[in-house]
Amino acid sequence: MKRRKAAALFMALAVAAGTLAGCGGAGNQPAAESKVSEPVEETAGAEETDDTQKESETGQAASGEKVNIKLFTGKIETIDVMNEIIESFNKSQDRITVEQEYQKDASNIIKIKFASDEVPDIMTTYEQGFVDEGKYMDISDQNEWWDRMSPDMKAACTDVKTGKTYRVCTNMTMAGFFYNKEIFNELGIEEFPGEWNEFVAMLEKIRTEKPDVVPWFIFGSEAWHLGHLIEFIPHGYVKSNLGTIEAKKAMLENDQEALKFADSDGPMAVFAGNMKELQDKGLINEDILTATNDNCVQDFVSGRTAMFSNGMWAISSVLEASPEMEDKIGFAPYPAYMQGSSPVVLSAEDSGYSISATTEHKEACIEFMNFLFLPENQQKYCEVAKAPSAFKDVTAKWAPEAVVSEVSAALDGAVNIGFTNEKPAGFSGDDAGRMLQGLFAGQYTPEQFAEAYTDAWNDGIGSAGDEEQ
Amino acid sequence: MKSRKIGLHQFMAVPAFALYAVFFIYPLLKGIGLCFTDWDGIKAAHFVGLRNFIDFFHDQRALSDIRTTVLFTLGSAPLLNIVGLVYALLMNSEFRGKSIARMCIYMPAIISPLIMGYIWYFLLQPGRGFLYHFFDGLGHPEWFGNWMGNYKSALLVIVLVNVWQYAGMTMVIYLAGLQGISRDLYEAAKIDGARWVDGFLHVTLPLLGPSIRINVITNIIGSLSVFDIVMSLTGGGPGYQTETLSIYIMRMCYGSKTGYSVAVAIILFLIVLIPVAASSWLMRKKEED
Repeated sequence: MKRRKAAALFMALAVAAGTLAGCGGAGNQPAAESKVSEPVEETAGAEETDDTQKESETGQAASGEKVNIKLFTGKIETIDVMNEIIESFNKSQDRITVEQEYQKDASNIIKIKFASDEVPDIMTTYEQGFVDEGKYMDISDQNEWWDRMSPDMKAACTDVKTGKTYRVCTNMTMAGFFYNKEIFNELGIEEFPGEWNEFVAMLEKIRTEKPDVVPWFIFGSEAWHLGHLIEFIPHGYVKSNLGTIEAKKAMLENDQEALKFADSDGPMAVFAGNMKELQDKGLINEDILTATNDNCVQDFVSGRTAMFSNGMWAISSVLEASPEMEDKIGFAPYPAYMQGSSPVVLSAEDSGYSISATTEHKEACIEFMNFLFLPENQQKYCEVAKAPSAFKDVTAKWAPEAVVSEVSAALDGAVNIGFTNEKPAGFSGDDAGRMLQGLFAGQYTPEQFAEAYTDAWNDGIGSAGDEEQ
Repeated sequence: MKSRKIGLHQFMAVPAFALYAVFFIYPLLKGIGLCFTDWDGIKAAHFVGLRNFIDFFHDQRALSDIRTTVLFTLGSAPLLNIVGLVYALLMNSEFRGKSIARMCIYMPAIISPLIMGYIWYFLLQPGRGFLYHFFDGLGHPEWFGNWMGNYKSALLVIVLVNVWQYAGMTMVIYLAGLQGISRDLYEAAKIDGARWVDGFLHVTLPLLGPSIRINVITNIIGSLSVFDIVMSLTGGGPGYQTETLSIYIMRMCYGSKTGYSVAVAIILFLIVLIPVAASSWLMRKKEED
């Protein structure tokens, strides 16, 4: 009986101890990792940490201990090529082992990782809130990377608040209208319009002369797509009107005098009015609220739709669905829709890599990133990511020649805008997209939409605690 | 004084208690602490008193989500019980192919609600889904509407899909209750001249009391905390129209309002607790009477 009791007690304690041990990770973290919530002004303190890191790494090297680096990514399209590059790197030396972790919902999962002190050494996720909290390592002094990078991309990687750089973006991406050149040629449309009125007239012409073709396909069941429309059109106007840096500052400071989001003749209300007009006139697909990205690609390659808005990442799915589309894809900027404005096209940084401010393996991370940024590795990377390189010394065939020349022409003929990283942390692109869904579902008038958008924006800024900072 | 010894059985409860404490009590206590803070998941948390709770009742979207969640529950919980009971009564009778019928009814319950939502999405998608093509084949495409594109029909679709998926689970509990009722009672009632309806009302229903209580309570809890089926069918849309409180909590949590989202989770806990406690008390009282 005594033996049974002792066995039961032992098993019970073993299970309890095992369970509790799983929750006690934070206590076992190295001192550097437990400093994750240090504010940004303590970046100077990071130098101290650097010394500790160097000492630690030197110690490790001396003892012959292997360094394990965790790379966290949300980029599904580059998993295989990154595994290939990582494998080459791991084989090229025997001191550092890099391990890739992919998460579909990476931008949310990283918050959990930060909160639970399980911060990866290198990550592709980047958020202004984490910059402000000093979560990323300052890599402004990595001149061997910046010297190879185009000045625009370097500027796009630089934090507006501090003027420092916390990520390296290996690629550029563009977004605008993809259109079917064959349909345009049949209808005698020689040039993509640069003004909104002409744009609407063109959509009407498509509707009238080709009733079976949807002039503009919007896959509105996916909130991110609608969020991108807001990002590229009204936010694009703000950036083209104020200038990229001033627009970023206005967004960071929530300067509504400059942004004019709530004005009845401001960028949001006019945009919402335009979108409602297109819906009322039947110039966009009827199933806008339930249509998916796959539906869009299928309709585009089968000639049932004349155009759609998206980024360069859409090319691979279009060509996969129909390789014959290679010579039929046209690309154009978003037409100017506000008085006195110009057409805009997104030309933004993509594939950003940041190093954790609390990593114990700074030198090892930099060694790996040096390897990753080698021209031959970047060439492979660009061809898989279907995006041109941000490095001046990398030449890659990232898209068919015809598409590349269309994109170059669009970039030359429009104001190039960057992506807004300075949005309120509590108001995501998906949230904005869901508001646009509400507009299409008849929930708002254009003016109400502009007011609701401004309220959500202000609330998002307030929720991130920026008001108290 | 006689000291109380801990027996083997108490020891055996330690692992279960440890798991319960770590995965339920600890997060609950931690959550209670967080709900009074402005923690955004990134910066340090500050105590804000009851501000999160006050904000919740001033947020039109949150109030709309309560309405949607309650309407969904009012539709889903009674229907699940009625349909489950009807299925159970059918399965309690003898007919050929009963095992296959029972399997078909129960099968949707073992499929992930997310997958089920996506399957129904592709069946119901306007202009593209299977049902649209079916009605189109009949020459009446106009019979098929954009049922997921407006609030009322989208909510109805979610309720019906949820009932279709989980009625089998409700049926199993009712069936177990029905099989525990002695045939002698029905025969005695029949001898006394009772019709089928009388037997159902005066024998079956009273003796199904415990099964009804389990089903009502679990269906209320499940319906008030519904998440996955809504997420996969409508994503809470169009806009935020079919968003439920569980989805709202998730979005707030990942939208830099972590402290606030914990406060809403506690409000949801209370919203679930009230009808569950009331129905449990009412049914127990009726059983005692």
